[in-house]
Amino acid sequence: MTALAATPAPVPPVAPARTTAQPVTFGRVVVGEWVKFRSVRSTVWTLVATVVLMTGFATLAAWGSTLTLEEQPAATGMNVAQLLSAGYQLGQLAVAVLAVLTITGEYSTGMIRSSFAAVPRRVPVLTAKALVVGVVVAVVTVATMGLSYLATMPFHDELEASFDLSSGETLRMTVGLPLYLVAVALLAFAAGALLRHTAGAITAVLATLLVIDNVVLLVPLRFFELISPFLPSAAGRRILFDEEMLASLDAVAEGATLTPWEGFGVLLGWVAVLLTLATIRARTRDA
Amino acid sequence: MIEAIGLTKRYGTKTAVDDVSFTVAPGKVTGFLGPNGAGKSTTMRMIVGLDRPTRGTVVVNGRSYREHRAPLGEVGCLLDAKAVHTGRSAANHLAAMAATHGIGRTRVDEVIEMTGLRDVAGKRVGGFSLGMGQRLGIAAALLGDPRTLILDEPVNGLDPEGVVWVRTLVRAMAAEGRTVFLSSHLMSEMALTADHIIVIGRGRILADAPVAEVVAAAAGSAVQVRTPQPEAFEGLMAQYGARVTASGPGRFEVHGTTAPMIGEAAAAASITLHELTPLQASLEDAYLQLTAGEVEYHSSGDPSPLRAAAPALQTEGSLR
Repeated sequence: MTALAATPAPVPPVAPARTTAQPVTFGRVVVGEWVKFRSVRSTVWTLVATVVLMTGFATLAAWGSTLTLEEQPAATGMNVAQLLSAGYQLGQLAVAVLAVLTITGEYSTGMIRSSFAAVPRRVPVLTAKALVVGVVVAVVTVATMGLSYLATMPFHDELEASFDLSSGETLRMTVGLPLYLVAVALLAFAAGALLRHTAGAITAVLATLLVIDNVVLLVPLRFFELISPFLPSAAGRRILFDEEMLASLDAVAEGATLTPWEGFGVLLGWVAVLLTLATIRARTRDA
Repeated sequence: MIEAIGLTKRYGTKTAVDDVSFTVAPGKVTGFLGPNGAGKSTTMRMIVGLDRPTRGTVVVNGRSYREHRAPLGEVGCLLDAKAVHTGRSAANHLAAMAATHGIGRTRVDEVIEMTGLRDVAGKRVGGFSLGMGQRLGIAAALLGDPRTLILDEPVNGLDPEGVVWVRTLVRAMAAEGRTVFLSSHLMSEMALTADHIIVIGRGRILADAPVAEVVAAAAGSAVQVRTPQPEAFEGLMAQYGARVTASGPGRFEVHGTTAPMIGEAAAAASITLHELTPLQASLEDAYLQLTAGEVEYHSSGDPSPLRAAAPALQTEGSLR
């Protein structure tokens, strides 16, 4: 068969009848992102890790508190909300890794090109991904808190623990945990979208959450003392602490003292800035 | 229909695509040919909005790609067989892409069936061979039943049966009136598949013509002659200014003239000819001549004979 013989008479351009593809809507993009989210093992495993680590740590904290109680009895009973968020440090690592992977996994495998080819406006892809990650982290955190409550129940009596959601402080600490973890996840997601590299983004996020506070603490420069209350983790986690804890933190602090909600607002500010930068980068850079 | 006007892409100081304009018409298979690094993939990525042109515009079916409300229904593209998350199954990859366009499960199963992926659809893509990855990429391109199909090196890694399948598929798509734009660095495959070819080298378009025309214009066209009177024949050809190279005892290749003219001249001079065969240059020869000066990395030490042939071709009217 030669090329000439294979050449057919020019066919008038007829658009085939098409009913297959419907217009792209944000809702459809969200469904697509949900399919992606649940069809990769790494997401499932990091979620399992989040639940196990946080529930385990809450239980450990409850058990540990009963031991210290034997040595020096506390004047007042324990707040269960404090137990539920005992594992927030580990939990934030797990959700940060999860959030980073959802976006850098696409960049490292090349999947992002398929995603942006399907949704060439790009921003809906990022927004839908962030939404899926945020909602999943919120739901899993609430479920984990329920599990932690059940797991720590055997210790509640001995600790004279109470869980009174009509108290403003307890309510704030309780809703604070899912809010804080969602904010951390979005921060990590934005870092992943900006750096497009799994190891780089995870390192950057862990440094931001765990290391930078300590470094700033070690360097007795006035500048560092001034900014340290406004670092994402230092500001945001205040929403998780009871008044007693906050007071002891502020006693050694040199800079400004933020209320729990102000602190969380500062964390959200960081999230907003990074997400905006990530959006700009996604729109302007080649995929 | 794809229309590119003055497309240019620079990466720093390196110009990958340099002021390229072309039209890919519906109803036929257009081959996009060039050596590695010539700018084929970059051009294709600009068509679907993955790379932003430094200058110039490109529209598909009348609009820029990102302006389409249902892009997958307009353009199906296989740009990179690796544009898939390795941890996800083929079926889930397709389902996720389909979801963005409200494409149902039936169509996903249909393209899985069409591309012969049924047995591996539930397996993670990370374990796929190059050929299976290609099939998955083609399945994704077909998902929205698009009017325009853009395939970057679709036969890469496919077994012979797969190559024939791709050829049949794209010819069928073109016969239905769709636009098919296919890149390859394999001339032989293009000769069998494409109706029209666009040759690119170092970011510039070297030829944009029907396949037959590109072959005909190749400077390598020659006539093979066998004669029992070699000396007399060589003398005769010298008179006509034709270039003669001996290819065996009493056998020559004559360049710069045609078989009928040689036959008539020999008859007039009473020179016996035992053979008079026009040698059609293959598309491969034509391609090598066109791109001789444009290949980024030469493997042979001396490409000059080929490079010398290229300017002759540039003067042909149908080629640019």
